[in-house]
Amino acid sequence: MKVQPGKIQKDVDEVIALSGKDKSSVIQVLQAIQDRYNYLPREALMRVCDTTSITPAEITGVASFYTQFRFEPAGKHIVKVCTGTACHVKGATLVHDAMAREMKLAPGRSTDDKRLFTLEKVACLGCCTLAPVVQIDDTTYGHVTANSSAGVLKDFLSRDGKKKKKKGVILPGGELQGEIRVGLGSCCIASGSSDIKDAVDAVVARDRINVNIKQVGCVGMCHQVPLLEVVTGNGGTEQSKLYAKVSPADIKSIVRSHFAPPGLLTRIRNGITRIAETIQTDDDWEGIERYSIDVREKHVASFLGNQIPIATEHRGVLDPLDLDDYIDRGGYGGLKRALGMESGEVIKEVAESGLRGRGGAGFPTGKKWEVAASQPGEDKMLICNGDEGDPGAFMDRMLLESYPFRIIEGMTIAAKAIGTSEGICYIRAEYPLAVRRIRQAIDMCIARGLLGDNILDSSFSFHIRIREGAGAFVCGEETALIESIEGKRGFPRIRPPYPAEQGLWGRPTLINNTETFAMVPYIMDKGAKQFASAGTNKSRGTKVFALAGKIRRGGLIEVPMGITIREIVEEIGGGIAGDRQFKAVQIGGPSGGCVPHYLSGTPVDFESLLDAGAMMGSGGLVVLDSGDCMVDMARYFLSFTQSESCGKCTFCRVGTRRMLNILDRMCSGTAKRGELEELETLAMQVRAGSLCGLGKTAPNPVLSTIRYFRDEYEAHLEGRCPTGKCKELITYYVDNECIGCTICAQKCPVAAIPFSPHEKHEIDHKECTRCDICREACPTGAVKVQ
Amino acid sequence: MVKLRINNREVSATKGMTVLEAAARVGIEIPAMCHNSDAGHFASCMVCVVKDKGSSAYIPSCSAVVACGMDITTNSEELELARKTAVELLLSEHAGDCEAPCRIACPANMDIPLMNRFIAAGNADKALETVLKDIAMPSVLGRICPAPCEGACHRKGVDQPVSVCLLKRFAGDEGKIELKKAPPQAGRVAVIGAGIAGLSAVWFLQGKGFSSTLFDSNPLPGGALRYAIDQKKLSRQVLDRETGIILGSGVEYHPDTTVDRAGFDRMVKDYDAVVVATGDLTREIGEWGLANNGRQVAVDKQSHQTNIPNVFAIGNVNRTTKLAIRSAAQGKEVAFSIEQFLAGSEPQGEPKPFNSRIGRLLKHELPVYMKGVSSEARIEPPVKNGGSFDAPEAAREALRCMHCECLKPSGCMLRNLAQRYGASQRRFRLEERKPVKKTTDHDTVVFEPGKCIRCGICVRLAVKHDERPGLTFLGRGYDVEIAVPFEENIKVAIKKAGSILAEACPTGALSFKNGAQVKQP
Repeated sequence: MKVQPGKIQKDVDEVIALSGKDKSSVIQVLQAIQDRYNYLPREALMRVCDTTSITPAEITGVASFYTQFRFEPAGKHIVKVCTGTACHVKGATLVHDAMAREMKLAPGRSTDDKRLFTLEKVACLGCCTLAPVVQIDDTTYGHVTANSSAGVLKDFLSRDGKKKKKKGVILPGGELQGEIRVGLGSCCIASGSSDIKDAVDAVVARDRINVNIKQVGCVGMCHQVPLLEVVTGNGGTEQSKLYAKVSPADIKSIVRSHFAPPGLLTRIRNGITRIAETIQTDDDWEGIERYSIDVREKHVASFLGNQIPIATEHRGVLDPLDLDDYIDRGGYGGLKRALGMESGEVIKEVAESGLRGRGGAGFPTGKKWEVAASQPGEDKMLICNGDEGDPGAFMDRMLLESYPFRIIEGMTIAAKAIGTSEGICYIRAEYPLAVRRIRQAIDMCIARGLLGDNILDSSFSFHIRIREGAGAFVCGEETALIESIEGKRGFPRIRPPYPAEQGLWGRPTLINNTETFAMVPYIMDKGAKQFASAGTNKSRGTKVFALAGKIRRGGLIEVPMGITIREIVEEIGGGIAGDRQFKAVQIGGPSGGCVPHYLSGTPVDFESLLDAGAMMGSGGLVVLDSGDCMVDMARYFLSFTQSESCGKCTFCRVGTRRMLNILDRMCSGTAKRGELEELETLAMQVRAGSLCGLGKTAPNPVLSTIRYFRDEYEAHLEGRCPTGKCKELITYYVDNECIGCTICAQKCPVAAIPFSPHEKHEIDHKECTRCDICREACPTGAVKVQ
Repeated sequence: MVKLRINNREVSATKGMTVLEAAARVGIEIPAMCHNSDAGHFASCMVCVVKDKGSSAYIPSCSAVVACGMDITTNSEELELARKTAVELLLSEHAGDCEAPCRIACPANMDIPLMNRFIAAGNADKALETVLKDIAMPSVLGRICPAPCEGACHRKGVDQPVSVCLLKRFAGDEGKIELKKAPPQAGRVAVIGAGIAGLSAVWFLQGKGFSSTLFDSNPLPGGALRYAIDQKKLSRQVLDRETGIILGSGVEYHPDTTVDRAGFDRMVKDYDAVVVATGDLTREIGEWGLANNGRQVAVDKQSHQTNIPNVFAIGNVNRTTKLAIRSAAQGKEVAFSIEQFLAGSEPQGEPKPFNSRIGRLLKHELPVYMKGVSSEARIEPPVKNGGSFDAPEAAREALRCMHCECLKPSGCMLRNLAQRYGASQRRFRLEERKPVKKTTDHDTVVFEPGKCIRCGICVRLAVKHDERPGLTFLGRGYDVEIAVPFEENIKVAIKKAGSILAEACPTGALSFKNGAQVKQP
């Protein structure tokens, strides 16, 4: 796309008029420019410098810091391969390589010659239970394999351009016959729930059924998405039926089974797979695992049974953007109570609840508020940290998307407690739905007098602005986040001074994690005691985790602190899927560590996890089985933190890179004796010598796996990968189960398998790129890995 | 007033002061590299880390502000190791040579690029002065040296190496210097053998002010140079001239004097130090009481000290390979050892500065080195002139030198810290080195981003001095680099503050084109 210079000037001037002229607006200006052009044309940036106080050094420095920004035009469609933890353990790298091959990308390029596709890796799409996941523009494909990659691209192109079916219109009148709830969290949407919603709308409109169609937030049962709940009856006689993994094709039958003559219901139960009628459906609903209707089963009860919803209270029934619904269920009770109290009393209540920061480090929230409250001055700031970037954790996103009012209420209570009237909600740019929902929720609250001047007719005023991140994991660190809001590169600052004393624009600033704020309304409404009754002595209340990996049932869970790892894995997660053994859990993502299966009695609380060499972190919980290589896991997490290092201090910038070099050498069999000890030494120094939390915790996944799985590291030094995960250390071969069908030879992208019909196939090891396609494609399982 | 403890001492500091400043106030030195008070705090290199006993955390003392109750340790083995690691991590990505590879390859560590600069400028005298700092007999060596320096010359990647050996011959033949008497030092040294090793030892001992006595069994000086090398290769006039210069430097010379066991024992007693430079290890010398294996005398590799503390052995008596320049180099090194020994310290030979080395230049890196360098092919001098350059030829050849040396050889804090901590560049060389980048477009400043430690002092100073577009951090993480915004030329980016930036840069990333302006440490 060639853009005319005159047009650029006009565009940029418009952008500046909207986004602001001052230095702190630079990120918003860049985001707006990229929205228009799909990349950042140099002329546009220069125009910004010519017409604002933003300098060339600032704009290029900031633009090149955040991964969201592109300097070259991208392809027509953006293909994002999720490389989150869950996707990684299920083979995302193979999928990425296969995509690159299918797009015929030149080495080192991410856009194909025809500019049709741009291939990107993304830290986490938050659909861990559909892993491995690929997102093309707005369409998400789950359970993608190297083998199915070509099909996914083809499918996308065949869908592209087809007009979306018009939404049905619900006709009013008559008595409500019931309610149909469709989960519309990001993970549900990724699995196709908006198509489900459209299908429901259509069939309800056509049949003129009078039901309330309600979109609800995340239910947490991400392993069953897309979910559809049908509630029939009214006033105490409600009956609910939950349908899992539905497809648009099922909708007509499901809806009619409840709101139309019976008969049909039987048909569904008997054989949903051969439904004759279809509504607005694409027959090739490819990628995502096909539906299987699932009525309330025992395991649903055990999935939800051990959980205590506080941050996720009323999940599955609450419409994220229905303020009345929220208030009817007790919302804003906490704020009302807080408004009638002195600031000190509010802080006391929070302190007594024992709430500790949910961002990872677990600093007592009451204490943080107290420090902020004790600062002089009227111009304090309050920030909600929603810059979740941990691959494999998406609690914050789910909370922002599903419970926007709760977070706003929590922020408002905190603002009242510390005495500020200005708040900022900082949300990761990769969470557009969360941004939209919070924005709408803020507007609704203002309209209702719950935000803005004189809240609920009191003398207290509070305003919230939204700031979007631009793709930098380090901005989850509070001082880097502040720099980012100030429109700078996300370099962390030295503490002290702590933000509570001197933060955003030098003003005393309270920063809490999204989940922390989500706990606050409950504490204020139900009381500190009620909150503290869950959890352990030192870690009170509940914690939200993203449970994923090799378990049967993954999803978002909210559990009381102190629950053991075993309970989470066995009871909530349903144990290991498949016939492998439970090996370890990775808790806390790139800042956390692995806890081996024999320590699964470890209670999940801040201190116990630290003692076990892991960390609460932001709450990713990935279950690993006997097929997972721990050296590869360590390398995976380190490669994440290494690429997210801001580059300020030597230990993190170069140290993590050198650690990664050693791990790369181990995984490729080129490491020498002594490098394991060197890795350990360096890891300890990086931990001690890094400036901020990112570098200080980056060695954790490495040190904890060395601690518990040293033998695997030693095996790699001898050139062996015991689990057969490390590409360079394995070979593929064909055994005698081969029937000579030639499928593998046809599928092999590098022609490493000669075409020899009716004979046992052979793999040329020199040509083989270990892409795994042949093994997947083989109908008899004759391709093995050694 | 803030009260804290530093190294178990009560220290009071002013509020807002950094730990580094508070320590300096009571005379405690903490190494720092990325710190610049004009540019403000940033904390990136982390060599200034100290430990707070309370939190047992490492804190960057250059930026951390003092707080009441801090209990700081600035020197411990743990911290020294951390600082060393920080330096080694920076070195592992350092895309730059401290010294030109020719100088590293030269056994005598001769400053070849500087010699070339003088020859190119038509100053043979200064060129000779430069050579003589490291090599005693340039005219002789300029005829017989196999020139390992030329084998390492980066110019090889473009066409042919610079003709260093002939340039050195030119300096030796044409340069004139006045011998300056060094202030005398206490200590008498006996040197046995007037071959190139012994003569070289005498030259450098005299240069340090020691009075030396030279014994030789032959009637004429030169050893193997005179008695083993073909006259056609090394004319006796050249040899006589240079041995004459050395023997004229005030040495007491005893030709035709064979030293026996008893004589040697007397020397060991009578002289403060004895240098054995007898060439071959004969059976007789083998029985002088010097530890040996029948072929060579055993010596310490650095100091050339033998088992008898005041006896040193150099030249072919301690090794079998014949290389005149190595023997000459050992003559220089032993002078340092003897100086150290006589001062009562452990003899270590010539101090060896740390050297960052990048190895071969890649094809695409060569053009940047060739900027402003003569593209003429290597000049082969006509035979009629005895194969020597005349002055114009020498100047033209010297202009072929690509000057691979760093322009901040002594002012570089990274090099000095690497030296101080005995850092190894190899420890973390775990991937391909970063590309060498060099911009010489600016009038006064050379910009070599590959040598940058990403402290950003230049970025902040450029803002302070109102430079526009100035400099910026580009990218992030391991790949972050300092660059000119919008890929403009550095000439445009830095107009006023070039010297200030080059002065403030802790490494050779920003240096003066005229390296002489660099502040000495």
